[in-house]
Amino acid sequence: MSILPNRRLILAGALAAAAMPAAAFAAPAGRRRFGVTLHPYYSYVANIVGDAAEVVPIIPAGFNPHAYEPRPEDIQRIGGLDAIVLNGIGHDDFAGRMIAASAKPSLPVVESNADVPLLPAAGMAARAAGRVVNPHSFLSITNSVLQVATIARELGRLDPDNAAAYAANARAYSRRLRQLRADALTKLATAGTASLRVATIHGAYDYLLREFGLEVSAVVEPAHGIEPSPAQLAETIATMRKLDVQVIFSELNFPSAYVEMIRRETGIRLYAFSHISHGDYAPDLFEREMARNLDTLVLAMAEAAP
Amino acid sequence: MHHQIVRRAGAERETLWVALAAGAILVSAALAVGLRAVPDAEAPLAAHLIDSRTGLTAAEQGLYADLKAAGEEIAALRTAEGRAPTLAELAAEALPPFAADPSAAARGGHAWTFAKTGDGVAYAGVSAAPELAGSLVLRLDGHGADIWLKRAAEAPPAPPEDAALTAAGWKRIVSTFTAGVTR
Repeated sequence: MSILPNRRLILAGALAAAAMPAAAFAAPAGRRRFGVTLHPYYSYVANIVGDAAEVVPIIPAGFNPHAYEPRPEDIQRIGGLDAIVLNGIGHDDFAGRMIAASAKPSLPVVESNADVPLLPAAGMAARAAGRVVNPHSFLSITNSVLQVATIARELGRLDPDNAAAYAANARAYSRRLRQLRADALTKLATAGTASLRVATIHGAYDYLLREFGLEVSAVVEPAHGIEPSPAQLAETIATMRKLDVQVIFSELNFPSAYVEMIRRETGIRLYAFSHISHGDYAPDLFEREMARNLDTLVLAMAEAAP
Repeated sequence: MHHQIVRRAGAERETLWVALAAGAILVSAALAVGLRAVPDAEAPLAAHLIDSRTGLTAAEQGLYADLKAAGEEIAALRTAEGRAPTLAELAAEALPPFAADPSAAARGGHAWTFAKTGDGVAYAGVSAAPELAGSLVLRLDGHGADIWLKRAAEAPPAPPEDAALTAAGWKRIVSTFTAGVTR
Protein backbone atom coordinates (compact mmCIF):
# COMPACT_ATOMS: atom_id res chain seq x y z
CA MET A 1 0.00 0.00 0.00
CA SER A 2 1.31 3.38 -0.97
CA ILE A 3 1.66 5.99 1.73
CA LEU A 4 2.25 8.75 -0.80
CA PRO A 5 -0.50 11.39 -0.85
CA ASN A 6 -2.92 11.09 -3.70
CA ARG A 7 -2.03 13.49 -6.54
CA ARG A 8 -5.67 14.46 -6.98
CA LEU A 9 -5.93 15.41 -3.34
CA ILE A 10 -2.83 17.57 -3.64
CA LEU A 11 -4.20 19.25 -6.75
CA ALA A 12 -7.58 19.80 -5.11
CA GLY A 13 -5.85 21.29 -2.09
CA ALA A 14 -3.81 23.60 -4.28
CA LEU A 15 -6.89 24.77 -6.20
CA ALA A 16 -8.86 25.27 -3.02
CA ALA A 17 -6.01 27.28 -1.55
CA ALA A 18 -5.70 29.35 -4.70
CA ALA A 19 -9.43 30.06 -4.69
CA MET A 20 -9.44 31.43 -1.14
CA PRO A 21 -9.76 35.19 -0.96
CA ALA A 22 -6.51 37.07 -0.64
CA ALA A 23 -7.96 39.12 2.21
CA ALA A 24 -7.88 36.04 4.40
CA PHE A 25 -4.08 36.30 4.51
CA ALA A 26 -3.70 40.04 4.24
CA ALA A 27 -1.40 41.93 6.59
CA PRO A 28 -2.64 44.85 8.65
CA ALA A 29 -3.55 47.77 6.43
CA GLY A 30 -0.65 49.94 5.34
CA ARG A 31 2.15 47.42 5.89
CA ARG A 32 3.11 45.71 2.65
CA ARG A 33 4.03 42.03 2.42
CA PHE A 34 6.82 41.14 0.02
CA GLY A 35 7.55 37.50 -0.82
CA VAL A 36 10.96 35.95 -1.47
CA THR A 37 12.05 32.52 -2.66
CA LEU A 38 15.67 32.17 -1.53
CA HIS A 39 17.65 32.94 1.63
CA PRO A 40 19.85 35.74 0.20
CA TYR A 41 16.75 37.55 -1.07
CA TYR A 42 15.20 37.39 2.38
CA SER A 43 18.29 39.17 3.75
CA TYR A 44 18.29 41.75 0.94
CA VAL A 45 14.61 42.62 1.27
CA ALA A 46 14.61 42.58 5.08
CA ASN A 47 17.45 45.09 5.12
CA ILE A 48 15.78 47.27 2.46
CA VAL A 49 12.33 47.48 4.04
CA GLY A 50 13.30 47.46 7.72
CA ASP A 51 10.11 47.71 9.80
CA ALA A 52 8.12 49.33 6.99
CA ALA A 53 7.06 46.03 5.41
CA GLU A 54 6.96 42.30 6.10
CA VAL A 55 9.18 39.82 4.26
CA VAL A 56 7.51 36.47 3.59
CA PRO A 57 9.54 33.43 2.50
CA ILE A 58 7.29 31.27 0.33
CA ILE A 59 9.47 28.18 0.88
CA PRO A 60 9.74 27.08 4.51
CA ALA A 61 13.24 27.01 5.99
CA GLY A 62 14.81 23.60 5.60
CA PHE A 63 13.67 22.97 2.04
CA ASN A 64 16.43 22.82 -0.54
CA PRO A 65 15.43 25.13 -3.42
CA HIS A 66 17.25 22.87 -5.90
CA ALA A 67 14.83 20.02 -5.18
CA TYR A 68 11.78 22.00 -4.07
CA GLU A 69 8.32 21.07 -5.33
CA PRO A 70 5.50 23.57 -4.62
CA ARG A 71 3.03 22.62 -1.88
CA PRO A 72 -0.55 23.89 -1.49
CA GLU A 73 0.20 25.80 1.71
CA ASP A 74 3.13 27.57 0.01
CA ILE A 75 0.94 28.54 -2.95
CA GLN A 76 -1.66 29.75 -0.47
CA ARG A 77 0.91 32.11 1.07
CA ILE A 78 1.33 33.92 -2.25
CA GLY A 79 -2.30 35.08 -2.10
CA GLY A 80 -1.46 37.47 0.73
CA LEU A 81 1.52 39.15 -0.91
CA ASP A 82 1.79 42.61 -2.47
CA ALA A 83 4.79 41.62 -4.63
CA ILE A 84 7.43 38.93 -4.88
CA VAL A 85 11.18 39.30 -5.36
CA LEU A 86 12.74 36.66 -7.59
CA ASN A 87 16.19 35.53 -8.64
CA GLY A 88 14.37 34.89 -11.92
CA ILE A 89 17.26 33.38 -13.88
CA GLY A 90 16.99 29.72 -13.02
CA HIS A 91 17.25 29.30 -9.26
CA ASP A 92 13.57 29.75 -8.46
CA ASP A 93 11.81 28.62 -11.62
CA PHE A 94 9.12 27.00 -9.48
CA ALA A 95 7.88 30.47 -8.47
CA GLY A 96 6.28 31.20 -11.85
CA ARG A 97 4.12 28.09 -11.60
CA MET A 98 3.21 28.89 -7.99
CA ILE A 99 2.14 32.46 -8.82
CA ALA A 100 0.07 31.23 -11.79
CA ALA A 101 -1.75 28.77 -9.49
CA SER A 102 -2.23 31.25 -6.66
CA ALA A 103 -5.04 33.64 -5.78
CA LYS A 104 -2.91 36.42 -7.33
CA PRO A 105 -1.74 35.25 -10.74
CA SER A 106 -0.91 38.85 -11.68
CA LEU A 107 1.18 39.47 -8.55
CA PRO A 108 3.86 42.12 -9.25
CA VAL A 109 7.24 40.45 -9.72
CA VAL A 110 10.56 42.14 -9.02
CA GLU A 111 13.24 40.67 -11.31
CA SER A 112 16.22 41.40 -9.10
CA ASN A 113 18.79 40.44 -11.75
CA ALA A 114 17.44 42.86 -14.36
CA ASP A 115 20.53 45.07 -14.07
CA VAL A 116 23.16 42.43 -13.26
CA PRO A 117 25.73 41.51 -15.95
CA LEU A 118 25.16 37.76 -16.02
CA LEU A 119 27.79 35.13 -16.72
CA PRO A 120 27.32 32.02 -18.84
CA ALA A 121 26.46 28.84 -16.96
CA ALA A 122 29.40 26.60 -16.11
CA GLY A 123 29.88 22.84 -16.26
CA MET A 124 27.30 20.75 -18.10
CA ALA A 125 24.89 23.70 -18.10
CA ALA A 126 27.29 25.60 -20.37
CA ARG A 127 25.45 25.39 -23.66
CA ALA A 128 23.54 27.44 -26.22
CA ALA A 129 26.44 29.79 -26.94
CA GLY A 130 26.31 31.48 -23.55
CA ARG A 131 22.55 32.07 -23.60
CA VAL A 132 22.01 29.85 -20.55
CA VAL A 133 23.18 31.92 -17.61
CA ASN A 134 24.64 31.07 -14.23
CA PRO A 135 21.80 31.73 -11.76
CA HIS A 136 24.05 32.12 -8.67
CA SER A 137 24.35 35.88 -9.04
CA PHE A 138 23.71 36.28 -5.30
CA LEU A 139 27.07 34.67 -4.43
CA SER A 140 28.91 37.92 -5.05
CA ILE A 141 29.15 41.23 -3.24
CA THR A 142 28.97 43.39 -6.38
CA ASN A 143 26.02 41.56 -7.87
CA SER A 144 24.25 41.66 -4.53
CA VAL A 145 24.74 45.43 -4.41
CA LEU A 146 23.25 45.71 -7.92
CA GLN A 147 20.32 43.49 -6.96
CA VAL A 148 19.70 45.44 -3.76
CA ALA A 149 19.56 48.69 -5.79
CA THR A 150 17.08 47.17 -8.27
CA ILE A 151 14.89 45.68 -5.53
CA ALA A 152 14.81 48.96 -3.56
CA ARG A 153 13.87 50.93 -6.69
CA GLU A 154 11.10 48.51 -7.71
CA LEU A 155 9.66 48.13 -4.20
CA GLY A 156 9.72 51.93 -3.93
CA ARG A 157 7.60 52.14 -7.07
CA LEU A 158 5.09 49.73 -5.55
CA ASP A 159 5.14 51.48 -2.16
CA PRO A 160 5.85 55.18 -2.88
CA ASP A 161 5.26 56.28 0.74
CA ASN A 162 8.33 54.29 1.79
CA ALA A 163 10.42 54.71 -1.37
CA ALA A 164 12.88 57.15 0.21
CA ALA A 165 13.37 54.90 3.24
CA TYR A 166 13.92 51.86 1.01
CA ALA A 167 16.55 53.75 -1.04
CA ALA A 168 18.38 54.96 2.07
CA ASN A 169 18.30 51.51 3.69
CA ALA A 170 19.54 49.92 0.47
CA ARG A 171 22.53 52.26 0.30
CA ALA A 172 23.42 51.65 3.96
CA TYR A 173 23.16 47.88 3.44
CA SER A 174 25.24 48.04 0.27
CA ARG A 175 27.90 50.01 2.12
CA ARG A 176 28.10 47.21 4.72
CA LEU A 177 28.36 44.59 1.97
CA ARG A 178 31.14 46.50 0.23
CA GLN A 179 32.95 46.73 3.55
CA LEU A 180 32.93 42.92 3.80
CA ARG A 181 34.79 42.73 0.52
CA ALA A 182 37.14 45.55 1.50
CA ASP A 183 37.96 43.74 4.77
CA ALA A 184 38.72 40.55 2.85
CA LEU A 185 40.97 42.43 0.46
CA THR A 186 42.79 44.05 3.37
CA LYS A 187 43.52 40.59 4.76
CA LEU A 188 44.60 39.50 1.29
CA ALA A 189 47.06 42.38 1.05
CA THR A 190 49.21 40.67 3.66
CA ALA A 191 48.67 37.19 2.23
CA GLY A 192 51.05 37.66 -0.66
CA THR A 193 49.18 36.38 -3.71
CA ALA A 194 46.27 37.46 -5.82
CA SER A 195 46.12 34.71 -8.40
CA LEU A 196 45.04 31.09 -8.29
CA ARG A 197 44.19 28.32 -10.71
CA VAL A 198 40.81 27.17 -9.44
CA ALA A 199 38.41 24.26 -9.91
CA THR A 200 34.98 24.09 -8.29
CA ILE A 201 32.75 21.17 -7.42
CA HIS A 202 29.60 23.20 -8.06
CA GLY A 203 29.35 25.84 -10.81
CA ALA A 204 28.04 28.43 -8.36
CA TYR A 205 31.07 30.46 -7.50
CA ASP A 206 32.08 32.13 -10.77
CA TYR A 207 30.61 35.48 -9.75
CA LEU A 208 32.43 35.51 -6.41
CA LEU A 209 35.75 34.50 -7.97
CA ARG A 210 35.42 37.11 -10.75
CA GLU A 211 35.40 39.81 -8.06
CA PHE A 212 38.93 38.81 -7.20
CA GLY A 213 40.08 38.47 -10.81
CA LEU A 214 40.02 34.66 -10.61
CA GLU A 215 38.75 32.36 -13.31
CA VAL A 216 37.38 28.85 -12.84
CA SER A 217 39.47 26.36 -14.81
CA ALA A 218 37.21 23.33 -14.30
CA VAL A 219 33.82 22.44 -12.81
CA VAL A 220 33.65 18.89 -11.48
CA GLU A 221 29.94 18.28 -10.85
CA PRO A 222 28.01 17.60 -14.09
CA ALA A 223 24.89 19.23 -12.59
CA HIS A 224 23.92 20.21 -9.09
CA GLY A 225 23.42 17.12 -6.93
CA ILE A 226 24.53 14.72 -9.67
CA GLU A 227 27.78 12.95 -8.98
CA PRO A 228 30.11 12.39 -11.93
CA SER A 229 30.44 8.94 -13.43
CA PRO A 230 33.78 7.10 -12.98
CA ALA A 231 34.74 8.07 -16.55
CA GLN A 232 33.89 11.74 -15.93
CA LEU A 233 35.79 11.62 -12.65
CA ALA A 234 38.90 10.21 -14.34
CA GLU A 235 38.66 12.90 -17.03
CA THR A 236 38.26 15.62 -14.39
CA ILE A 237 41.32 14.42 -12.46
CA ALA A 238 43.35 14.37 -15.70
CA THR A 239 42.11 17.89 -16.58
CA MET A 240 43.07 19.23 -13.16
CA ARG A 241 46.56 17.79 -13.48
CA LYS A 242 46.91 19.22 -16.99
CA LEU A 243 45.72 22.68 -15.92
CA ASP A 244 47.89 22.54 -12.80
CA VAL A 245 44.91 23.52 -10.62
CA GLN A 246 46.01 24.75 -7.18
CA VAL A 247 42.70 24.87 -5.28
CA ILE A 248 39.31 23.14 -5.40
CA PHE A 249 36.29 24.91 -3.93
CA SER A 250 33.53 22.58 -2.76
CA GLU A 251 30.22 23.27 -1.06
CA LEU A 252 29.61 23.27 2.70
CA ASN A 253 27.30 20.55 4.03
CA PHE A 254 28.08 18.47 0.97
CA PRO A 255 30.23 15.50 1.99
CA SER A 256 31.03 13.29 -0.92
CA ALA A 257 33.32 10.38 -1.57
CA TYR A 258 34.23 11.63 -5.01
CA VAL A 259 35.40 15.01 -3.67
CA GLU A 260 37.69 13.17 -1.27
CA MET A 261 38.91 10.93 -4.12
CA ILE A 262 39.85 13.99 -6.22
CA ARG A 263 41.70 15.49 -3.29
CA ARG A 264 43.52 12.21 -2.61
CA GLU A 265 44.41 11.58 -6.27
CA THR A 266 45.59 15.08 -7.09
CA GLY A 267 46.82 16.36 -3.74
CA ILE A 268 45.09 19.68 -4.46
CA ARG A 269 43.91 21.70 -1.45
CA LEU A 270 40.15 21.64 -0.88
CA TYR A 271 38.04 24.45 0.65
CA ALA A 272 34.26 24.78 1.05
CA PHE A 273 32.01 27.75 0.29
CA SER A 274 28.49 28.31 1.56
CA HIS A 275 25.76 28.28 -1.07
CA ILE A 276 23.58 30.34 1.33
CA SER A 277 20.58 28.06 0.93
CA HIS A 278 20.41 26.43 4.37
CA GLY A 279 19.20 27.38 7.83
CA ASP A 280 16.64 29.84 9.12
CA TYR A 281 15.76 32.99 7.24
CA ALA A 282 17.46 35.96 8.87
CA PRO A 283 18.26 39.55 7.88
CA ASP A 284 21.95 39.04 8.65
CA LEU A 285 22.28 35.57 7.13
CA PHE A 286 23.72 36.82 3.85
CA GLU A 287 26.35 38.96 5.59
CA ARG A 288 27.37 36.13 7.93
CA GLU A 289 27.64 33.54 5.17
CA MET A 290 29.40 35.84 2.72
CA ALA A 291 31.89 36.89 5.41
CA ARG A 292 32.64 33.21 5.90
CA ASN A 293 33.00 32.69 2.12
CA LEU A 294 35.36 35.63 1.84
CA ASP A 295 37.44 34.35 4.79
CA THR A 296 37.63 30.97 3.03
CA LEU A 297 38.78 32.60 -0.19
CA VAL A 298 41.41 34.66 1.60
CA LEU A 299 42.65 31.55 3.44
CA ALA A 300 42.88 29.62 0.16
CA MET A 301 44.83 32.41 -1.52
CA ALA A 302 47.12 32.83 1.48
CA GLU A 303 47.89 29.10 1.72
CA ALA A 304 48.57 28.92 -2.01
CA ALA A 305 51.03 31.81 -1.84
CA PRO A 306 54.60 30.76 -2.64
CA MET B 1 -36.33 -16.52 -54.00
CA HIS B 2 -34.41 -14.15 -51.86
CA HIS B 3 -30.82 -13.30 -52.88
CA GLN B 4 -28.42 -11.62 -50.53
CA ILE B 5 -24.88 -10.60 -51.43
CA VAL B 6 -22.54 -11.35 -48.61
CA ARG B 7 -19.26 -9.41 -48.93
CA ARG B 8 -16.14 -11.28 -48.09
CA ALA B 9 -14.51 -10.55 -44.81
CA GLY B 10 -12.15 -7.57 -45.10
CA ALA B 11 -11.50 -4.06 -43.92
CA GLU B 12 -11.02 -2.15 -47.15
CA ARG B 13 -13.45 0.63 -46.22
CA GLU B 14 -12.09 1.02 -42.70
CA THR B 15 -8.57 0.94 -44.06
CA LEU B 16 -9.51 3.60 -46.57
CA TRP B 17 -10.94 5.89 -43.87
CA VAL B 18 -7.99 5.35 -41.59
CA ALA B 19 -5.58 6.08 -44.44
CA LEU B 20 -7.53 9.23 -45.36
CA ALA B 21 -7.50 10.40 -41.73
CA ALA B 22 -3.77 9.72 -41.43
CA GLY B 23 -3.19 11.60 -44.70
CA ALA B 24 -5.22 14.57 -43.45
CA ILE B 25 -3.24 14.65 -40.22
CA LEU B 26 0.05 14.51 -42.10
CA VAL B 27 -1.01 17.28 -44.51
CA SER B 28 -2.23 19.55 -41.71
CA ALA B 29 0.95 18.90 -39.68
CA ALA B 30 3.12 19.69 -42.70
CA LEU B 31 1.14 22.87 -43.28
CA ALA B 32 1.46 23.90 -39.61
CA VAL B 33 5.22 23.30 -39.61
CA GLY B 34 5.67 24.99 -42.98
CA LEU B 35 3.66 28.07 -42.05
CA ARG B 36 5.19 28.47 -38.59
CA ALA B 37 7.23 31.64 -38.40
CA VAL B 38 10.96 31.04 -38.32
CA PRO B 39 12.38 32.64 -35.17
CA ASP B 40 14.44 35.69 -35.91
CA ALA B 41 18.13 34.99 -35.95
CA GLU B 42 19.96 36.99 -33.32
CA ALA B 43 21.22 40.15 -34.92
CA PRO B 44 24.97 40.54 -34.52
CA LEU B 45 26.06 43.40 -32.30
CA ALA B 46 27.09 46.65 -33.96
CA ALA B 47 30.85 47.09 -34.35
CA HIS B 48 31.04 49.61 -31.50
CA LEU B 49 29.33 47.29 -28.99
CA ILE B 50 30.67 44.32 -27.03
CA ASP B 51 28.66 41.73 -25.07
CA SER B 52 29.46 41.50 -21.35
CA ARG B 53 28.69 37.78 -21.17
CA THR B 54 30.69 36.50 -24.12
CA GLY B 55 33.07 39.29 -25.14
CA LEU B 56 34.95 40.10 -21.93
CA THR B 57 37.80 38.47 -20.04
CA ALA B 58 37.19 37.27 -16.47
CA ALA B 59 38.85 40.41 -15.08
CA GLU B 60 36.81 42.68 -17.37
CA GLN B 61 33.59 40.96 -16.32
CA GLY B 62 34.40 41.69 -12.69
CA LEU B 63 35.35 45.30 -13.42
CA TYR B 64 32.23 45.87 -15.51
CA ALA B 65 29.99 44.66 -12.66
CA ASP B 66 31.91 46.88 -10.23
CA LEU B 67 31.53 49.92 -12.48
CA LYS B 68 27.78 49.31 -12.83
CA ALA B 69 27.45 49.20 -9.04
CA ALA B 70 29.71 52.25 -8.70
CA GLY B 71 27.52 54.10 -11.21
CA GLU B 72 24.50 53.61 -8.92
CA GLU B 73 26.40 54.93 -5.90
CA ILE B 74 27.94 57.88 -7.77
CA ALA B 75 24.50 58.90 -9.10
CA ALA B 76 23.10 58.80 -5.54
CA LEU B 77 26.03 60.86 -4.22
CA ARG B 78 25.60 63.42 -7.02
CA THR B 79 21.92 63.79 -6.14
CA ALA B 80 22.61 64.01 -2.40
CA GLU B 81 25.55 66.41 -2.54
CA GLY B 82 25.01 68.26 -5.81
CA ARG B 83 28.44 67.32 -7.14
CA ALA B 84 30.30 64.27 -8.38
CA PRO B 85 32.48 62.47 -5.83
CA THR B 86 36.23 62.65 -6.31
CA LEU B 87 38.37 59.57 -6.85
CA ALA B 88 39.72 59.89 -3.30
CA GLU B 89 36.19 59.97 -1.91
CA LEU B 90 35.22 56.86 -3.90
CA ALA B 91 38.31 55.02 -2.65
CA ALA B 92 37.51 56.07 0.92
CA GLU B 93 34.03 54.57 0.48
CA ALA B 94 35.76 51.24 -0.39
CA LEU B 95 34.00 51.46 -3.73
CA PRO B 96 35.55 49.11 -6.26
CA PRO B 97 37.23 49.47 -8.69
CA PHE B 98 38.41 52.83 -7.37
CA ALA B 99 39.76 51.44 -4.09
CA ALA B 100 43.41 50.43 -4.43
CA ASP B 101 43.43 46.83 -3.26
CA PRO B 102 45.07 43.52 -4.22
CA SER B 103 42.27 42.65 -6.63
CA ALA B 104 42.87 45.90 -8.55
CA ALA B 105 46.36 44.70 -9.47
CA ALA B 106 45.06 41.24 -10.40
CA ARG B 107 42.51 42.85 -12.70
CA GLY B 108 44.77 45.10 -14.74
CA GLY B 109 46.07 47.72 -12.28
CA HIS B 110 44.01 50.57 -13.71
CA ALA B 111 45.04 54.19 -13.08
CA TRP B 112 41.82 56.20 -12.68
CA THR B 113 41.21 59.83 -13.63
CA PHE B 114 38.14 62.03 -13.40
CA ALA B 115 36.81 64.43 -16.04
CA LYS B 116 33.71 66.58 -16.51
CA THR B 117 31.82 66.15 -19.78
CA GLY B 118 29.18 68.34 -21.38
CA ASP B 119 26.26 67.24 -19.21
CA GLY B 120 27.88 64.77 -16.88
CA VAL B 121 31.06 63.21 -15.57
CA ALA B 122 33.44 60.46 -16.66
CA TYR B 123 35.85 58.23 -14.78
CA ALA B 124 38.57 56.74 -17.00
CA GLY B 125 40.87 53.87 -16.01
CA VAL B 126 43.97 53.21 -18.08
CA SER B 127 45.04 49.59 -17.82
CA ALA B 128 48.58 48.58 -16.93
CA ALA B 129 47.92 45.05 -18.25
CA PRO B 130 45.54 45.14 -21.25
CA GLU B 131 45.94 41.39 -21.75
CA LEU B 132 44.15 40.91 -18.40
CA ALA B 133 41.66 43.75 -18.78
CA GLY B 134 41.45 46.66 -21.19
CA SER B 135 41.13 50.34 -20.35
CA LEU B 136 37.68 51.44 -19.23
CA VAL B 137 35.51 54.54 -19.11
CA LEU B 138 32.45 55.03 -16.89
CA ARG B 139 30.29 57.90 -18.13
CA LEU B 140 27.34 59.31 -16.21
CA ASP B 141 24.85 61.89 -17.38
CA GLY B 142 21.39 62.73 -16.18
CA HIS B 143 19.93 59.69 -17.93
CA GLY B 144 22.14 56.90 -16.64
CA ALA B 145 25.55 55.34 -16.92
CA ASP B 146 27.42 53.60 -19.72
CA ILE B 147 30.74 51.80 -19.78
CA TRP B 148 33.28 51.65 -22.62
CA LEU B 149 36.28 49.37 -23.16
CA LYS B 150 39.44 49.37 -25.28
CA ARG B 151 42.05 46.60 -25.08
CA ALA B 152 45.02 48.93 -24.93
CA ALA B 153 46.87 50.96 -22.31
CA GLU B 154 45.27 54.09 -23.64
CA ALA B 155 43.38 57.09 -22.26
CA PRO B 156 40.05 57.91 -23.92
CA PRO B 157 39.64 60.95 -26.18
CA ALA B 158 38.56 64.18 -24.47
CA PRO B 159 35.69 64.70 -24.18
CA PRO B 160 34.76 61.00 -24.19
CA GLU B 161 31.71 61.30 -26.41
CA ASP B 162 30.18 58.46 -28.44
CA ALA B 163 31.57 59.49 -31.83
CA ALA B 164 35.07 60.18 -30.55
CA LEU B 165 35.21 56.93 -28.56
CA THR B 166 33.94 54.87 -31.47
CA ALA B 167 36.38 56.51 -33.88
CA ALA B 168 39.24 55.72 -31.49
CA GLY B 169 38.28 52.04 -31.38
CA TRP B 170 36.47 51.97 -28.03
CA LYS B 171 33.47 49.66 -27.58
CA ARG B 172 30.45 50.19 -25.36
CA ILE B 173 29.73 47.18 -23.13
CA VAL B 174 26.17 45.91 -23.25
CA SER B 175 24.47 43.20 -21.23
CA THR B 176 21.19 41.46 -21.82
CA PHE B 177 18.64 40.18 -19.35
CA THR B 178 15.92 37.71 -20.22
CA ALA B 179 13.58 36.98 -17.35
CA GLY B 180 13.41 33.27 -16.67
CA VAL B 181 16.06 32.44 -19.21
CA THR B 182 15.99 28.80 -18.16
CA ARG B 183 12.24 28.51 -17.65
